[in-house]
Amino acid sequence: MGCCYSSENETQEQRNERKPLIPHPDPVSKPPNGTDWITTVPSARTDEQALLTSILTKTAQNIIDVSAADSVMMEQHEYMDKARQYSTKLAVLSNSLPQRKALALPSLTSQPHQVLASDLVPYSDVQQISKIAAYAYSAISQIKVDAKEELVVQFAIP
Amino acid sequence: MTASLTAGLDRIQDQIGYLVISEEGVLASAGELENDEVTAGVMMQMVRTASRFRLSGAAEPPFKRMSVILEDFVYTVTVSGQKVFVVKRQNNQQEPISV
Repeated sequence: MGCCYSSENETQEQRNERKPLIPHPDPVSKPPNGTDWITTVPSARTDEQALLTSILTKTAQNIIDVSAADSVMMEQHEYMDKARQYSTKLAVLSNSLPQRKALALPSLTSQPHQVLASDLVPYSDVQQISKIAAYAYSAISQIKVDAKEELVVQFAIP
Repeated sequence: MTASLTAGLDRIQDQIGYLVISEEGVLASAGELENDEVTAGVMMQMVRTASRFRLSGAAEPPFKRMSVILEDFVYTVTVSGQKVFVVKRQNNQQEPISV
């Protein structure tokens, strides 16, 4: 479940990307534990409070609350309902999209015979490309994730 | 119509076969590629895939010819007027390709 609050500098496009296709049936329901405090911040707040709030909001956005995952468990039939709702919604949306043009072949040349009859690629060029491709393959195969922090951290709440 | 499509292909040096393919299928074929529907299908797919590639900002694919280089022969492929031309040519460059 995503976070309900968007940061101020987020563009409209980004917001739309994360907007659920189907609005939450009960938007006033309490978000998973710990995040409901944001709504209680008084409107006449000081700059310091505003700053703190923005820090907290940003933190809340970056957190996936795994402890709250249990509380949002859905029944089998709820899953089925949601799946059905989503597929209906998707079907409606995809109809409004411009039909993707059938992939037409591009024209690479107006003189095909001449292009085909010209000299073959020199062996040295092929060898060079093969070498570069081998280097690139080797480089890509060495990319790995270097995990430095714990994925799940406990928040020490006094 | 077929004659004008293939007239130039016959004269290509070292050619040992060719195919002219449209969206509907093989229009003309000769030599080692005569009625070679399988190669036609593979080449069509390869050139389609390759022609989706663009350098940043360019509207057209950045190449005129695709070469599929094997030890003994080379398939040279190009597209013109919604037709794919494939010519199989002998590869006389003796050195082996080592990776």
